[in-house]
Amino acid sequence: MFNATVQRIRTPALKITQNCKSKDCHSVLIMIPHGRRCLSTSSCLYGKILPRKKPRVVHEIAGLEPITYADRMHFVPGLAKPRFPTWDRGWKDPTHYQSPKLEDMPLHKDKPCYIFSQRTNVLEGVRQALWLSKSVLIKGLPAQILSLAEDPANQIENQDERVQDAIKNSRLWDTTEPRPLRERFCPSLLHRLLHLCGGLQVTRPELAKRILAEKYSLAATWRRGEDMFQVRGQNGLLLNSMTPVPVLAGEEQIQSTADQALETFYPIAPTIDLQCTHVYQEKNDTGFKEGYPYPHAHTLFLMEMGNTPKLLPEQLRAKMVMFTFGNALARAQALYGKEPRVLEKPIVVQSVATNGRLFQFVVFQLNTTDLQSDSGVKNLVWVDEDQPLYEFAKVRPYIKKKVVKVPAGLSGYQPNTFKKFLALHLHGTA
Amino acid sequence: MSVSLLSRALRSLSLSGARTVSSQIASLSGVSADLTGCRGFMTSACQRQNRSLWKQREKYTVRPIGIKKTGGRDYTGRIVTHGIGGGHKQRYRMIDFQRLRYEPGQEGQPIVEKVVEVRYDPCRSADIALVAGGSRKRWIIATENMEAGDLIKTSSAIGRMAVLAKEGDSHPLGALPVGTLINNLELYPGKGAQYIRAAGTCGVLLRKVNGTAIVQLPSKHQIQVLETCVATVGRVSNVDHNKRIIGKAGRNRWLGIRPSSGLWQRKGGWAGRKIRPLPPMKSFVNPPSAAAKT
Repeated sequence: MFNATVQRIRTPALKITQNCKSKDCHSVLIMIPHGRRCLSTSSCLYGKILPRKKPRVVHEIAGLEPITYADRMHFVPGLAKPRFPTWDRGWKDPTHYQSPKLEDMPLHKDKPCYIFSQRTNVLEGVRQALWLSKSVLIKGLPAQILSLAEDPANQIENQDERVQDAIKNSRLWDTTEPRPLRERFCPSLLHRLLHLCGGLQVTRPELAKRILAEKYSLAATWRRGEDMFQVRGQNGLLLNSMTPVPVLAGEEQIQSTADQALETFYPIAPTIDLQCTHVYQEKNDTGFKEGYPYPHAHTLFLMEMGNTPKLLPEQLRAKMVMFTFGNALARAQALYGKEPRVLEKPIVVQSVATNGRLFQFVVFQLNTTDLQSDSGVKNLVWVDEDQPLYEFAKVRPYIKKKVVKVPAGLSGYQPNTFKKFLALHLHGTA
Repeated sequence: MSVSLLSRALRSLSLSGARTVSSQIASLSGVSADLTGCRGFMTSACQRQNRSLWKQREKYTVRPIGIKKTGGRDYTGRIVTHGIGGGHKQRYRMIDFQRLRYEPGQEGQPIVEKVVEVRYDPCRSADIALVAGGSRKRWIIATENMEAGDLIKTSSAIGRMAVLAKEGDSHPLGALPVGTLINNLELYPGKGAQYIRAAGTCGVLLRKVNGTAIVQLPSKHQIQVLETCVATVGRVSNVDHNKRIIGKAGRNRWLGIRPSSGLWQRKGGWAGRKIRPLPPMKSFVNPPSAAAKT
C-alpha cells in the first residue's frame, strides 16, 4: 500500500528529498513541502495544500494576570506564553545598540520642526523658499554687480580664451573615456573657473583675504507663524572673507518691501516636502568656530550633478535661496543674538549654482530676523536664472543624415555668464 | 511502522541539514506574514521570506516601489493562473483609494488639493494623478479631463440640496444629484474605493432611498450602498483604452501576457453569449442582525 501511495504523491516533491536517501522516508517528507502536516485523508493522498489557519488571537484583559509556564521552565499546554521583560546587558556594547523609541529620546519635543536639508526637493520651488525666508523676489542681478560685470577694468587678460580653455579641459580633455561623467566635469569646471578668478589677486590684494571651505555643516533655526523651521547640513563650497559683503539695497527699497505681500500657494502648505521631526535640537551654527579669521560668508557654490536627488532648475534655485538664507541667518544670530529684530546693517550672501553648463546666480540680503509674522520688512532676493556658459561641448560631432548638426568641441560660448561670475566674485572689493 | 519511519527520517537529518530543510520550507511557504514558524520536528527559528517583502511596506510613500513578478505562480511554485509571465519591468506607485483621508489635525474640513502631474501607470489601465494638498502628496486615479494645475475638492458633507458636481471632485453619494456619472465607488464608508476604477468606466447614480443610494455599475448590475460612501465624479481617465489595437504578438508579451495553450478543446455549456435578466440588486447596507438584538 505504501509503495502505491508513494508514486502518486511524488508530484509535489521538492528539493528537500535530497537530504534523505532511503525511499522509506520519502512518503513522510513528501507530505510536508511547506512544513505543515495535513492530516485530513484526501489532502494526504493528493498532496493538496490547505491554507494555513491564522494563529489564535490572545486578548489581553486589563487587571487579569494570565497564568504562564514561566515558573515551570518548560512549555505546558493550557498555560499562557510568558512575556519576559527586555533583557538589559548591563554595560554599553558598541556593536549591539538598540536605539530607544522616538518618544523616549532625550531631544524629543512635542512641537514638530520642519528641516530643510541638502536632500530636500521642494514642490513649489522658489515661491516656497521665498515664503519660508520671508523674502521678495527681484529678477536679474542688482545694478552694482551688473556694472562690475560690464567694467572692462575688472576683466582678466585674454578672459574669453582662458575660460574656453578651462571648459575644454574639463569637458573634453579630462579623461580618455568617450564622455566624462557629470560628477567629474562639474566640480572640475567650477574649480578651474575659481582658479581663474583667483588669478586677479595680483592687481587686487583684497581678494587674498578670502578662503574656500568645503564640507562645513550649517545650522540655522527660526520660527514662522506657529511652526519652527531649520536649515541643516552640508551645502557646498563656501567662499569666506574677512570683510562683510557691502549692502546692496538702500533704506527706501528695504522699507518699501514692507508693503509687498508674500505669495501663498493654496492649497499646498509651505511645509510640504520638508522633513517633519519631533526629535531635534535648536541649533544656530555658522559651521565655523568663534575666532575664525574669515567669519563672513561671501559666496556659496552649489553643484547639481543629478544624483540624489535630481533637482530641476526651479528646485535648485529654491535650494540656493534656502541655504544663502540659512548662512545669513546663522551669521546674524552669531553677531546680534537670537532676538528677532530688524537689522540696521543687512547681511548679504551670494550664491552660484551650476550643473556644468547652466549657471544660476542668487544674491540674498537679510534685512530682518523677525520672521514670525508675515508683515513688516522683508528680505530681498535677486535671482538670475539659467545662464548658459556654452551651448554644446561635444567630444564627437552630432551628425544626422550626413549633415553635421553640432560640431565637435566647444560651441555657443556666452561671455556674459563668466562676466557675471567674475563680478559676483569681485563684489566686496573696492 | 510510522514511528520507525519518523525516527529514520530524524536520524538522516543532521543539524546543518535540518537548517537547510526548514529554510527551504520557510522560503516556499508564502504566508502573508513574514515570519513562518513551524512546529513539529522543524526546530529552527522563524525565517523571513523575500517573496512578498516588496509589498509589506505600511507607511505610504509617493516614490515608486520595485515589484517582484510572480509569473502566475503561488508560494508552492505551481502555476495558478496561466498566461502570465515576462513583460516590461514595472514599478508600483501606491495609490490612495480612500479619497476622504484627512491629514492628522485637520479632520472634518473639506480637503482641497492641487493636481501636480497626470501620468501613465504600468500597473493599471487608468492614468494616475499626483495631487498635493496641505503638507502631503499622494497618487489618485485620474478622471477624464484632469490636468496639471487643477484644484479638486473632497468633502464629507451631505446637505439638503445636492452639490453641483464638478468632475474630479469627490463627495458622498447622498450629496450628489441623481444621474451623475461617478467612479471610484466605496462599498462601505471609509473602506476605500473598490469599484469602477478601470479606464473609461463610470457608474450612474440611479436613485437615493432613505439613507442609501442605488448605483448602476458599468456591467449594468445595480448595487445599494450607504449614502455616506464617497465616490468621485466623472469618468475615469484614458477613455480610449478599449479602442486600442495590440497590433502584434510582441506587444502582448510586453504587457506580460503569455500565449494561451494551442490545444483545441470542445467548448461546453459555459461558452457563448447568454441573454438573461439582470441578477437582483445586491445590497451592501447591513441591517442590525437578529443576534445583535438579543
